[in-house]
Amino acid sequence: MSQTGEAGTEAEAEADVETDDGTFVGTGLNRVEDHRILTGEAEYIHDITPEGCLHMALLRTTHARADIVEVDTSGAEAHPECELVLTGEDVAAEYNPMPSGLSGIEEWALARDSVKFVGEPVAMVAAPDRYVAEDLLDMIDVAYDTQDPIVDPVDARRDDEVVHEGLGTNVPDEEEFVFGDVDAAFREADTVVENQYSWGRISGVPLETAGVVAEYDTERDRFDIDCNIQLHTLVDDTVYEPLGYDPGDVSLSVPPDVGGSFGTKIAIHRYCVLAAIASKKLDGTPVKFVEDRIENLQGGDMHSSDREYLVRLACDDDGTIRGLDVNFVDDFGAYPRYPVNQTLKPLAVLTNAYDIEHVRYNYELVLTNKTAQTAYRGFGVPPHLYALEMAIDEAAREAGIDPYELRQSNLIGPDQVPYTLPSNNVYDSGDYPGALAELKDTVEREERTEGGLLDPEVVTQQREEGKYRGVGYSVHIEPGVSGSDWTDRQRTDRETLAERSREDVAELPEYLQGSVDEDGTVVVYLATDTSGQGHQTILKQLLADELDLLPSDIEVSYLDSAEAPTEYGTAASRMAVMLSGAAQGLAGEFADNFERLAAAHWDVDRTDVSYRDGAVHRANSDETLSLADLAAIDEDYQESLTAAEYAYDHPASDVEAFDEAFTQKYPVYPTAAFAANAPIVEVDIETGAVEILKFYSLRDCGTQLNPTIVEGQAMGGLAQGIGAALLEEFSYDDSGQPQAITLFDYLLPSVTNVPEMELLHTETPSPFTPTGAKGTGEGGMIDGPASIAVAINRALEPFDVVVDEIPATPHRLRRKLRDADE
Amino acid sequence: MSTDTTTDRPTREISVTVNGEEVTAEVEPRLKLSDFLRNYVDLGSVRVGCEHGVCGACTVSVDGDIAKSCLMYAVQLDGKEVTTVEGISEAGSLHPIQEAFHEEHALQCGFCTSGFIMSAREFLAENPDPTRAEIKAALADNICRCTGYQNIFDAVERAADNMEGD
Repeated sequence: MSQTGEAGTEAEAEADVETDDGTFVGTGLNRVEDHRILTGEAEYIHDITPEGCLHMALLRTTHARADIVEVDTSGAEAHPECELVLTGEDVAAEYNPMPSGLSGIEEWALARDSVKFVGEPVAMVAAPDRYVAEDLLDMIDVAYDTQDPIVDPVDARRDDEVVHEGLGTNVPDEEEFVFGDVDAAFREADTVVENQYSWGRISGVPLETAGVVAEYDTERDRFDIDCNIQLHTLVDDTVYEPLGYDPGDVSLSVPPDVGGSFGTKIAIHRYCVLAAIASKKLDGTPVKFVEDRIENLQGGDMHSSDREYLVRLACDDDGTIRGLDVNFVDDFGAYPRYPVNQTLKPLAVLTNAYDIEHVRYNYELVLTNKTAQTAYRGFGVPPHLYALEMAIDEAAREAGIDPYELRQSNLIGPDQVPYTLPSNNVYDSGDYPGALAELKDTVEREERTEGGLLDPEVVTQQREEGKYRGVGYSVHIEPGVSGSDWTDRQRTDRETLAERSREDVAELPEYLQGSVDEDGTVVVYLATDTSGQGHQTILKQLLADELDLLPSDIEVSYLDSAEAPTEYGTAASRMAVMLSGAAQGLAGEFADNFERLAAAHWDVDRTDVSYRDGAVHRANSDETLSLADLAAIDEDYQESLTAAEYAYDHPASDVEAFDEAFTQKYPVYPTAAFAANAPIVEVDIETGAVEILKFYSLRDCGTQLNPTIVEGQAMGGLAQGIGAALLEEFSYDDSGQPQAITLFDYLLPSVTNVPEMELLHTETPSPFTPTGAKGTGEGGMIDGPASIAVAINRALEPFDVVVDEIPATPHRLRRKLRDADE
Repeated sequence: MSTDTTTDRPTREISVTVNGEEVTAEVEPRLKLSDFLRNYVDLGSVRVGCEHGVCGACTVSVDGDIAKSCLMYAVQLDGKEVTTVEGISEAGSLHPIQEAFHEEHALQCGFCTSGFIMSAREFLAENPDPTRAEIKAALADNICRCTGYQNIFDAVERAADNMEGD
C-alpha cells in the first residue's frame, strides 16, 4: 500500500475546526496535502529512483507516415554503457499489442512495420543515466519509406488513402441519433440558421509529465510499477494485457502526489509497458522513464478533441427554438484511446440548458496521421457547448432578438426540473433562468455604471482607440458522475441493445476500505489515485462527520491496482458524490462492526450497545470502548471487526428516471452542476488580441463539501477554458508535422492572461446524491470557452464578426476583421 | 542518477554552496543545474516541468537572483550560492510565503509551487510593499495549470502583508 504522504502535526491540528453546526463537511478546511508539497517533501513520480535504477529513452520518428524498412541498433549496442535496446519486433516477439479504443486497429508499444504519427516511438534504450540513454538514441539508424500523410480530417473521409490498411477506412465509427420529429421541426420553423464551427486540438498539458518506475520480480514472476497513470485501478488492463500477465501480477501504484492530469494521464500505458518489459529483460533491474516536455507535447498520446461542426437551429420569429441539428467530424489521430465515449458524452448535455425537444446528433470519428486523442477535462463536452452557443448567437442575430433575451426565453425553467433530455439523461436541480438573471443584474449594477468596465462613456472612449468591449451572458450545464457501461456502446450489437433490461447494466462503484490502528486512528484506503483535487482532505471531512471523529483521527491512503477491486475512480467529476456515498456506507459498516465487537466483549445483547462520539457506549452504564480499546480487543478476538469495506454503487442506481438511458447505453450523468457566466472582454481590432477584463461567474454545484476546494476547481477550470478559447492549439502543417512541440508554441495561460474572477455561488442540492453534492471537477473548462466566445461576439457586433474558430487567436480575429472591412 | 560512470566521460569538479552547505562534486559539463540539484544534492523541491525555461517549476535562487535551473549547467555554479525551497525555512516550520500559499489555497497538484515560492521570495525581498500590478509582473514567468492564479496572487499579497517589518 502506498504511503499516505500525510501532513505534519501542524496541519493536523488546524484541520479540526468544525462549522457552526458541528460538521466538517461544508467548511473550507485547509488541505492536509499542502504541507508536504510546500516544503518540497512530497514525492512525485520523478522523485522515485531506486538504487541501481536504469533510465529508459525512446527513439521517436520524425515522419508522419512511413514504412519502416530497417532498424539498425548496432551502433547503440556497441556503446559501453548501453544496457538494452529494443525494437518493435523485439516487443512483438514476446508480448501483446496495446488495447485499442476501436476494434480492427493494432497498436504496439513500439512501432513494428510502419509509423503513423510524428513522435511515435520506434525503439527504446536503457542506460545508467538519461543523458547517456539519449546519446544512444543518436546511434540507432532507422530507414524509412515515407508516404504523403493523411492530415485533413474532412478530406480523410474520402478514404483515397487510409491510415490503417487493415481497417480499410478512415471513418471507423459514426452514428446518427434522432430524438423527436426533427424533420417536422425544421420544416415548420420560421427560420433555419446554419453555420460551421471549428474547435482546435487542445489538451490538459499538466505541469508534471508522465512517468514510470517498473521493477520485475524474478522470483515471483510479477511486476511492481510506480507510475502517475490516472484511474490505475480501472485502466490497469492497458498495462497487464500487453504484458500478457494476470491483473494480480502487475501491481500499479500511484504516488500520493501527481502533478496534474486532467484526464490526460489515463493513457500513459505505453511507458508502463515498455519500462516493465525492459526491467524483465534486465533481470529485475528497475527501469525509470519520465517524459520530457517535447515528448509530452508531440507524442505523449494525450491530445484531445479536434472537431469540425455543422450546426443548424430551427427557430420561430418570436425566438422559440424548435429543433437542433448537430453534425461533427472528430479527428482522433492515428490511434484513438477513448473515442466513442468522447463523441457520445455530449448527449448528456445535448441541449445544454435549453428546452429543445427535437434534436438530431450525428458524428463521424476520423483517423489521420496525428498523435492519438485521449481524455481531457470535460471529455468531449466543451466543443459541443461552444458550437451550440455560437448557433444560438446566430439565431439571435437572424431573428433580431437580443441574445440574452433569446437565451432566457429558451432556458429550461425551474418548474421543469428534474428535466429529462431527449437523449434521456436527467438534470437533477437548478434554476437556470434565475441564475442568469441574477448574474446579469450584478454585472449591470457593478459594471454598466459610472466607473465600471462597461460604463457607456468608457466603452465609447475605448472604441475610439480601436478597443471594443463586450459582455456575453450564457448558462452551461456540467454533467457529473458517470458510472455505468454506456462507454462500450460502440462494441454493442444494436439488436442486443434493444432487448436489454435494467438488470443487465453493469455499474462502476466506488470502493473504500478501512481499519483501526492500535492508537485508534482510522486508516482509510482509496481505490483510486489523485492529482491535486484534495481527496484526502475531503474524505477526512466526510468520515469525521459520519463517525463523530476529528479529521486528525483519520488517515487517508491508497490501494494499488492489485489490491483494489476494479474501480472507476477519479474521472467524470465523480469523487465528491461517489466519496459521499462511499464514506456513509463505510461508516455504517464500521459502526456495525464496532457494536458487534463491543457486545461480544461485554457479553451483552447488540441492542445494549451503541456507537456514537467515537466510542461504543454500553446502555445503562458509564462504560465505553474507544477505538483504541476496540483495536486491542479485536487483536484478541481475531475477528477483524475493526476493519470494514464498502462499495457505493452510483447515485442514479435507484432513480427510475435513468433506467431508459442506462439500458440503451446513453451517457448517464446524474448531477447537473451549472454556471451562469459573463466574461467582459476587450478586443483590440488593430491586433486582434482579446483581453478578458473580468470574468463573472455564478456557479452552483449543489452542496459544497469544501467551498475552498470547490472555488479552486472553478478558477483552475476557468483558466484552462481561457487557454482553450484564446491561446492553446496543437496544429499540424500539411506534411503532418506538429507545430506546437514546446511551451513556446503551445501557449499555456500565465497570470497575465487570467483576469480577476468574480465568482458567486449558490447551492441547489442534488436530490439524487447522498450529501446533495454535484460533480464539479470539470466546470470551468466546460463552460469557459463557449462563454468567452459569446462575449467576443458581442464585442465585435459592430463588425458582424463572430468566433467560428477556437482558439480565437489574434491572427484569426484580425483576418476576420480585415475581411469585414472590405 | 549515479555519480560513478563506467566510461571516460569528461567531468569537472565544482564547489557550490547549497542552502548554506558546501557541496563538492565531479560533474559532466552538460549536466543541467536542475538535475544536479535533484540527483546529486537530493533536493526534491526542484521540479522539472519543461526543461526549456518556460514553466518555471525549477526556479531557484543563485547568488540572490532567481534562475530557471533547467537553463543553467551545474558547472556554471562553481563558487556560487544556491537556495532552494528546502533552504528557506527551518525544518518543520513554514516560511511566511509557504504559510500564505496554504492559507489562500494557492496550490492544487503542487508541481509548480516551489517555483512560485522562490519567485515570490525573491520579489518580496526586493519589493516588500508591492502593488497588484507589480505582483502580476513578478509572477508572469511561472506557469500554474491548476489554480487559475488568483489564489497565488492573493497568497503573495498576504505574504507581503505578513512579512511587513521583517
